[in-house]
Amino acid sequence: MSILSPEQLAIQKTAKEFVAKVIIPNAAKYDKSGEFPTMLLEAAKASKIFAMAVPKEYGGLNYDALTQALVLEEWGYGCAGMGTTLAASILSMDSVLVAGTDAQKSAYFKPMLNAEIGSFGLTEPGAGSDAAAGKATAVKKGDNYILNGTKCWITNGGFASVYVIFALTDPAAGVKGISAFILQRGLPGFTIGTTDHKLGIRASNTVELLLKDVQVPATNLLGKEGEGMKIAMMTLDMARPAIAALSVGLAQRALDACVAHVHTRFPGKPFPGQTLQFKLADMQIMVEAARDCLHQAMLLRDAGAPYTKESAICKTFCSDVAMQVTATAMSLMGSYAYTSDIGKYMRDSKIMQIFEGTNQIQRLVISRAVLAHPPAPIAAQKAGK
Amino acid sequence: MNFDLTEEQQLIGQSARDFAKQYLEPIAVGLDQTGEYPKAVVQALAKHDFLGLLLPADVGGAAAGFVSYVEVIEDLSRYCGAVASIVNNHTVAAYTIQNWGTAEQKKQYLPAMAKGELLGGFAIFENGPMPGVGQDALIATKHDVGYVLNGKKAFVRNAGEAGVYVVFATTDPAAGAKALTAFIVQASAVGVKVGEKQETMGLKGCPVAEITFENVVLAETALLGSLNQGAEIAAKALAVASVAEAAQTVGIGQAAVEHAAAYAKQRVQFGKPVAVLQAIQTLLAEVATDCHLARLGLRNAALLIEDGKPFEVEAAMVKSFLVRLGPKMLIDTCQVEGGFGYSETMPLPRMFRDIAGTTLLDAPGDFPEKLIAANIA
Repeated sequence: MSILSPEQLAIQKTAKEFVAKVIIPNAAKYDKSGEFPTMLLEAAKASKIFAMAVPKEYGGLNYDALTQALVLEEWGYGCAGMGTTLAASILSMDSVLVAGTDAQKSAYFKPMLNAEIGSFGLTEPGAGSDAAAGKATAVKKGDNYILNGTKCWITNGGFASVYVIFALTDPAAGVKGISAFILQRGLPGFTIGTTDHKLGIRASNTVELLLKDVQVPATNLLGKEGEGMKIAMMTLDMARPAIAALSVGLAQRALDACVAHVHTRFPGKPFPGQTLQFKLADMQIMVEAARDCLHQAMLLRDAGAPYTKESAICKTFCSDVAMQVTATAMSLMGSYAYTSDIGKYMRDSKIMQIFEGTNQIQRLVISRAVLAHPPAPIAAQKAGK
Repeated sequence: MNFDLTEEQQLIGQSARDFAKQYLEPIAVGLDQTGEYPKAVVQALAKHDFLGLLLPADVGGAAAGFVSYVEVIEDLSRYCGAVASIVNNHTVAAYTIQNWGTAEQKKQYLPAMAKGELLGGFAIFENGPMPGVGQDALIATKHDVGYVLNGKKAFVRNAGEAGVYVVFATTDPAAGAKALTAFIVQASAVGVKVGEKQETMGLKGCPVAEITFENVVLAETALLGSLNQGAEIAAKALAVASVAEAAQTVGIGQAAVEHAAAYAKQRVQFGKPVAVLQAIQTLLAEVATDCHLARLGLRNAALLIEDGKPFEVEAAMVKSFLVRLGPKMLIDTCQVEGGFGYSETMPLPRMFRDIAGTTLLDAPGDFPEKLIAANIA
C-alpha cells in the first residue's frame, strides 16, 4: 500500500522508465569522461521534466514538492550527477518563483519548457558557508546594473541559458546590501572560467563564472535591492530537499546493489548470516527513515506550513544516510564493490553533505530551532511513583 | 606493553619517509590518473630493501621485523596508497613462502623476491561464497607428477606484474574449503592467464585482475605447506596482511587529517579561520583519535606477530575498528575541506578513493567480529 496518490505513482513510474532508458545506461560513461551529458537535455525535451517545478500558468508541469522529490530520487538512483543538473536548474528557478515578477517568471521559465537549464550563482571563493562574504558588485548606472566579480563551484554554469546571480548593490550594508539578478547566457563580459574536475557527480557541470562589466537591465533585479540574502535563504529552503531526494536515490541504489550481490554470492542461501543480514536491515532502516523524513518535509511545504527546520533536517539526514549506506555497501561487497559502480555512489554521496549548505551549516539552523523552544517544565513527581 | 619504537625501528621509519618523499610524492597524482604500474618505483623500493623487509638475511632480506614493516607501510601510504598496496601484496606472498615453504622453495624464490626481481602475488579470493566453493572454484586434481589446476581466482592484486603467485586451490570439490591447499605458481606456467586489468575506485597503479588457470600442470614441489593445509595458511597470511592493511588505512587517514587541519587554519569564513569553529575541531579531533587508536592497535598486533605470539584476535579487532572508522576518516576530513576539497586538484579525493580499498571485507560471511566474540574471556 502506498501513501502516494495514483498521479504521483504514475509520475514516479514514468521517471523510473526515463532513468532506466536514458540515465542508467549512460551514467558510467559521463562519470568517466566528466563531460556534460547534452544528450540528457535532448532526451528530456519530450517530457518537460526540467519544467516540473514551473507553475501551470507558465506552461510547466506544476508538480507539488513531494512529486518533485519522487522524480529527483529516481534521478539520484540513476546518476546523482545528472540528478544534480536537474536539481540545480530547479534551484535557480526557485529564486524566481519566490521573488520574480510575472514578466520575470515568464522569461525565466520559458527555456525550461524546452529542457534548457538554469544556474544559481551565490558562492564565491571566499564566500562558501559564509555566503554573506561575497565580493561581487552590482552598480546602478541609468537603467542598468554593472556587475563585476567571480562566482565559483557554480553547477550548470557552463551550459545554462539563464542564471540567478547574487551581487552587492551596497557593499557597506553587508548582508543587507546583497541583491539578486537574472542574467542571460552570452551577455557581454559574462564568461565561463575553469571547469572543476570533481571527486564525484562528474556528469554535472561545475564552473567558475566571471563577470566583467556585465550590463544587466534594471528590470532583471529580483525583488528589491538588498533582498538578495533573503531570497537566497528562501530559495535554499525550497531547494535543499532536492539534495535529500538525490541522496535517498543514491542510498537505495547502493542497498539494491548489495542485496543483488548477496543473492549472487550466496546462491540458494536465503539467510547468509546475522552479521550480514543485520547490516542489510540497518541499511534498509536508514533508507526508509531518510525517505520518510524527506516526504514529511515535502508534505509540510505542500501544505503551506513552515518547513525551514525540516528542510535542513532532511538534507542533513538523507545525505548522511547516503554516505553511510554507500560506504557500508563498499565494505560489505569488498573487491566486487571496489571494481564496480559502488565507488561512484560513494563519491557522489560525499558532495551531498557539502553543497547547498554544508551539513554543519544545517546543524546550526537546526540547533537554533531546537534551542528556541525549550520544553515546558515537568512537575516533579514523588519518589516511588 | 611498550609502544615506543626502538632506535632501529625509528631509523627504518625515517628512511621510509625519506623514500616516500623522494619517490612517491612526485608520482602519486600521475599514478592515480594513469593507473600504470610504477615499475621504476618498485625497482627503487627493492634497492632500498623495502621488498624484503620481513625476510631473513640469508635470502637477502632486511630481517627488520613486523613492527618496522607496518611503520614502513604507514609511511609509504601517507604519500601513495597504491605503492603501499603493491608492497603489502608482494610481502604477504613472500611471508607465506618464508613460513610454510621448504628449504628448496625458499632458496628458489625468496632471494629474487627480496631483490625485487620477482614480484609476488597472493591469489585467495574466488567468486563463490568462499574459496573452494562455487562454479568458478579453483580445483587442484592430483595426477602422476603432481597437480593440475583448473578454475579461477578473483581480484588478484599485483596480477600481471607478479612473477610468482601463492595460489589456493581445493583438492576436493566436495570438501570445498576444507580441502584448500596452497601452491606456488609461476606466472610463466602454461595455462595461467591473467585477465584484463580491472578498474578500481582507487589505489590505482596496483593492478587487480582475475586469473584463469587452464590445465596448469604443477610438479609436486609446487605444493606449499601440506595437503589441505590451505585454509590454515590462508587465515594466518590474511590476518598478517590485514595488520599491514590497517597501517595503509592509518597512513592515508593521518595524511588526510594533517592536510585538513592545515587547510582549516588557512580557510577563513565568518571572519576567522574555520579551525577555531568547534564543529570543525570535532571533525578533526575524532579522525585524529581514530587514527591514533588504530595505530596503537595495529602496532600491538604487529608486536605479537614479531614475537611469534597469537595475534589473530588483535588483528581482527583492528580490522573491525577500521571497517567502521577507516572510510569515515576521509568522509570527515573531506567535509572540513568542503567545496574546495571536493576538487580532484586537491589531494583528499584521491585519498578518499584509496582508503576505501583498504577496509574491504573480502571474506564474505567471515566477519572479524566472529573471531573476536569467540575469544572474549
